[in-house]
Amino acid sequence: MGLFLGRSIILLLGLFALPTLLGDFWAYQLGLYFLYSIAALGVGICWGQAGFLPLGQAMFLGIGAYLSGFSLIHFQDSFLLLLLLPAAALIPGFIAFVIGLLVFRGHLESGPFFALITLALSLLTFQIATNWVDVTGGFNGLGGIPSLPGLEGFESLYYVVAAVLTISIGVVAWIIKAPIGVIWRGISENEKRLTFFGYDTAFLKALAFGISGVLGGVAGVLYAPHQGLVTPNLAGFILSAELLIWTAVGGRKTLFGPVIGAILVGSLTAELRDVIPIWELMVAALFIFVVLFLPDGIAGWPERLFQRVLGRRFSGDEVNLAVKIGQKSPELELASCSLSIGTVDILNQLSFRIAQPGIYCLIGPNGAGKTSTFNAITGAVKTQAGSINLDDESISGFQSHDVAMRGIGRKFQVPSILPNLTISENLRTALWGGRCSLMDLFHYTPLNWTNTINTDLKERFPFLIEENKPAKELSHGEKQVLELSMSLLGEPRLLLLDEPCAGLSSEETDKVIDTIRWIRSTFDSTILVIEHDMTLVKDIADQVIVMHQGAVLAIGGVKDIQKDSRVREVYVGVSI
Amino acid sequence: MTSPIYSFDGVTGGYGGGIVVNDVSGCVEQGQVLFVLGRNGVGKSTLLHLLFGYLQLIRGSVRFKQMDLVGKKPEEMSSLGITFCPQERVVFGELSVLENLILMRGNRDITHLEGYFEHFPILAERLSQDAGTLSGGERKILSFVRALSEGRELLMLDEPTEGVQRENILHIAQLIRERKKSGATFVIVEQNLELLDEVGDHVLVMDQGKVMISSRKDLISREDIVRHLGV
Amino acid sequence: MDPIAVTIALNIIYEITTLFVIVLGLAIVFGLLKVMNLAHGEFIMVGAYAAYFCQDQGWPYIMAIPFALFIAAILGYLIEFTLIRHLYRRPFDTLLVTWGLSFLLREVIELVYGKGFQSLSNPIPGSIDVLGEPYPSYRALVMVIAILSVLVLWVWYRRSLTGARVKAMVENPELARAVGIRVDNLARHTFVVGTCFGALAGVMLAPLTRVEPFMGLDYILTSFFVLVVGGVGTILGLSSGAGVIGGVQSVVSNLFGETSGYFGVLLIAILFLWLKPNGLISRS
Repeated sequence: MGLFLGRSIILLLGLFALPTLLGDFWAYQLGLYFLYSIAALGVGICWGQAGFLPLGQAMFLGIGAYLSGFSLIHFQDSFLLLLLLPAAALIPGFIAFVIGLLVFRGHLESGPFFALITLALSLLTFQIATNWVDVTGGFNGLGGIPSLPGLEGFESLYYVVAAVLTISIGVVAWIIKAPIGVIWRGISENEKRLTFFGYDTAFLKALAFGISGVLGGVAGVLYAPHQGLVTPNLAGFILSAELLIWTAVGGRKTLFGPVIGAILVGSLTAELRDVIPIWELMVAALFIFVVLFLPDGIAGWPERLFQRVLGRRFSGDEVNLAVKIGQKSPELELASCSLSIGTVDILNQLSFRIAQPGIYCLIGPNGAGKTSTFNAITGAVKTQAGSINLDDESISGFQSHDVAMRGIGRKFQVPSILPNLTISENLRTALWGGRCSLMDLFHYTPLNWTNTINTDLKERFPFLIEENKPAKELSHGEKQVLELSMSLLGEPRLLLLDEPCAGLSSEETDKVIDTIRWIRSTFDSTILVIEHDMTLVKDIADQVIVMHQGAVLAIGGVKDIQKDSRVREVYVGVSI
Repeated sequence: MTSPIYSFDGVTGGYGGGIVVNDVSGCVEQGQVLFVLGRNGVGKSTLLHLLFGYLQLIRGSVRFKQMDLVGKKPEEMSSLGITFCPQERVVFGELSVLENLILMRGNRDITHLEGYFEHFPILAERLSQDAGTLSGGERKILSFVRALSEGRELLMLDEPTEGVQRENILHIAQLIRERKKSGATFVIVEQNLELLDEVGDHVLVMDQGKVMISSRKDLISREDIVRHLGV
Repeated sequence: MDPIAVTIALNIIYEITTLFVIVLGLAIVFGLLKVMNLAHGEFIMVGAYAAYFCQDQGWPYIMAIPFALFIAAILGYLIEFTLIRHLYRRPFDTLLVTWGLSFLLREVIELVYGKGFQSLSNPIPGSIDVLGEPYPSYRALVMVIAILSVLVLWVWYRRSLTGARVKAMVENPELARAVGIRVDNLARHTFVVGTCFGALAGVMLAPLTRVEPFMGLDYILTSFFVLVVGGVGTILGLSSGAGVIGGVQSVVSNLFGETSGYFGVLLIAILFLWLKPNGLISRS
């Protein structure tokens, strides 16, 4: 915290010294790009952190500026400005949040469609601003906007802009280091995985978009008195595009990248556009180059260096979370669940019931519907008929994160991790799932959370201690173990494991099996395992469920299953 | 004994530089069928991917009719007389059944397919349907018919009977027998022993990326094979 | 027949058919190849400027067609080889790179011809009689060509297997290679065909519109809207998308003015993107 404030003060002093160094006029010019860089910080949050692309970000700047302009014109020197101006900054954020929520709830992806919607919306805003002449002044814009009360002359406004920029950087720095930042980066890596930890990712992405809207709004609110004129172009395509280019060139994933990009490329462009005819051509080429080869932008490398030299991990005493021992053991019941795609029946009247804690092995030939069963339970697919009940509640039709919140954890067949996040970030993301409140996500204390499972796992699998290693650098087996560990950390009452030992060496297999047994006995959990290796099944299963053609063929102890002639038939053909 | 038309020796490789298949050798004579057997995940499919050029060999050689196949790309194989049926994603789901069958032909004539439709009338019924709407077993049949109708000399099939009903497995066996007689050679990866009983000549049993048994089918007992498979 | 009704009907048909021409190139690149080419509008612009160049040189207008095709093919090959090739499975980066590319192409044109409008003279002046109403001949020709090309494409698409091979390659590249499709080449040719269709649209529309560096921006948006509303991958979807967007645009414009027409299109597009992103005609 101290270090954090210290850096902000140094930055502020530096910015305050600029007018003395460069002269007032230049400082004033730079002020405009300071404002743009505040909006670019928002683009950085959306695109660099949460991983979705806002193509129409200038829209929020425009809305904020128009609102601020009206307020300043009509309520000049009124104390109401103290309410109106903050509202003018927050309203764009609220609009962004609602748009985000509506779109992300509709379909869970950050893909091109979201980008195109934002682009269309910004064009819509531009059209409204151009055509609603009575209110906005139309194409010529809203002119004659007075400066902020008590700040006559552009020099004094510079200091306000510099201060707001410093605060914005500080806030964003705080946010992206807080748990929410880790989770946003997780969403951009592997959104599906996070939903199975219980995160409402649509909401969290909308939150990111909302915050970026506020940053755009703040920039707009100051833009109006700074320039004295707001035209539709402020909400238009060109500025949206420039914000994106600046963010990319500066480095979207870094804190200072968007700021550096906006100030450097922005002000250089303003100066050099007329001097060097091919300047804008060069910027466009630079943008393509950065997207293809330099995803971290120009700030990427220095910032990493800076972090290595100065950056200290936020450190504090570890907080040991109470283990949720004594949770009610789950009663899971699937009744005549059916799922078909086209004319193919994936699940066909699938019914079974699990009421006792224990290890249940789900076996069956390829295409029997084992993974689909997991998908149906965890809400990844919707069954077309039948019901799924957990305890006495129907969970069919639930979203994946709602299912996860009821204590169902899942490990995927192909290890599903967050490859570019570190090992400890991977583990934390799992630990926080279902435990962090919205407030916690903006707080640093969860960074120190741990629990006994976490400690125990690190003893069993020493590679988990290498906290700062990116998960993508792990071997296949280690990735399997990491994802298994992640799915354990949430202490699910019901754990679904899809071939947890696939691709593991026999030594690793032994350890994983040992861990599963340990979880089973310590927490009295219910574990459902898809497994092909019959030796393993014999080893761990309390009960075996054999599936064939989307339905249960047999349930029973290992011995009974082995004697069952129908089971032998589906495995090695008829003539055995 | 005639010399093998297709042979591979010391094949080693896997995904991303890892070694999944380790020093696997085998061969098959013209008009015969080599079966590669083993449990899930022992490297059978990886072996086929190595042989067909999807993956680069770390070590080993592959020869077809005196031709060195190492370094050849999958898209070159059909012009060399080899075709392949993958284990998963066996058809083009967004194309119709008909389009799947004639994709690489110059016209939409289907007279050459009528013989196959006698064995699998379901395909004829669903010609205009998207292949993605077929069941897993039906897709396997479509994939098999597609490969057979290309008329190549060597066919590599990855689990052609997975999800296929017994009756249709017998039709598949019948078609393979006919094609063997006209001189085609097969390499078939299987878990199910039914097809082996019907058309097999050589057996290669794998476990953990290595060859456990390599033998003529009639020289090996059923129990020896089963020991490495299934339950 | 009511002369106003005839004029309105003709305008609606004109709107829809020109949309079809505009979208066609993108429909190939995005619909078949799944490459979200945000520089599609700039290929239309390049085509229009190629036409302008030809007219400026005093060549007959028909010469613009081979000239624009030549330019678009070279550009297309170059861009596919340097940029797009690396991006077939990275939709996000494709979006960004082609977006940067659209800037680049705009800037190049701006450097050569400046920001201002260029207007071309009408290659076929005069008007013809349509149901008793005079209608500009060139517009009528554009409409006829557009409708003919829908029909030709429809017939070709039903008979030829090239479209099917492209779809096969995108859906399942592994299997495509196994059946002998040379994936790299096919993808490159498809992309170039898309850019060529874009340039042809530019040649056709150049005399009817203001030719300027930013003209592609409107085209790319409406093109995507058409594809989003209609659904990708079929000619029926393409036509119905053009029908809805073009219909809304011209009907609302006629009733409430041009700006409202634009609003109407934006609103419909946003609603579709949000609620029915697969469009009206989606396979499966």
